Amino acid sequence: MLWFRRTLAEVCSRIFAVFEHFTARLCEDDSEARSLKLLREWLSPDQLAQFDAHGHFEVVGCDTGKRYRIHYGSSMNVEELDDLDRPRICYCFVTDAPLAPGDVVLAQKIALETGERAALAVANKFTPRKRLPVSISL
Amino acid sequence: MASQIVMDHTGDTRHQFDAADAAALAKAEARFRALTKVGFTAAVRTPSGDVALTKTFDPTAEETLFYPRLVGG
Repeated sequence: MLWFRRTLAEVCSRIFAVFEHFTARLCEDDSEARSLKLLREWLSPDQLAQFDAHGHFEVVGCDTGKRYRIHYGSSMNVEELDDLDRPRICYCFVTDAPLAPGDVVLAQKIALETGERAALAVANKFTPRKRLPVSISL
Repeated sequence: MASQIVMDHTGDTRHQFDAADAAALAKAEARFRALTKVGFTAAVRTPSGDVALTKTFDPTAEETLFYPRLVGG
């Protein structure tokens, strides 16, 4: 009887763990979809067109007038562009609370357009790497 | 209806309020102060479509977006 109770408890525990796992995944997917919707609402028409076509868009820094390309992602996704549209420097700055990629990208866009120097002051810099195309489908 | 959009782990949470309702407006202002006090940045969209930061509560803003502090990643 004791063996049966233990086995039953283990089975229930595993079922609960699996349920929790899938619930968490569903919430994760939902948060990403919501963040993408918010991002699309706040992009300018030009930025939205770039984003839909390429999975990235450009912003102009409010302090220096430099152009940045923001890729859809949560880290190392901001590139400063040179005159030939080639990435010069890659920046990494994120929200201090973990957020879905669309939210991070939107915060980066607003930060560069309204407080470029402050945003870059906290950012880490990297040498740009070649990126693979990203498809966004939610 | 005006709205305050707060980025969070669910994507975002939207608080809608009637700017003509004094009680609702006071609640929205309190929310603005509470969020900016803990490090959130508030942004609004101008009529031309540009984005601007706001340090103080704007009772006429149709939509205010709050995002958490930015740090090096």
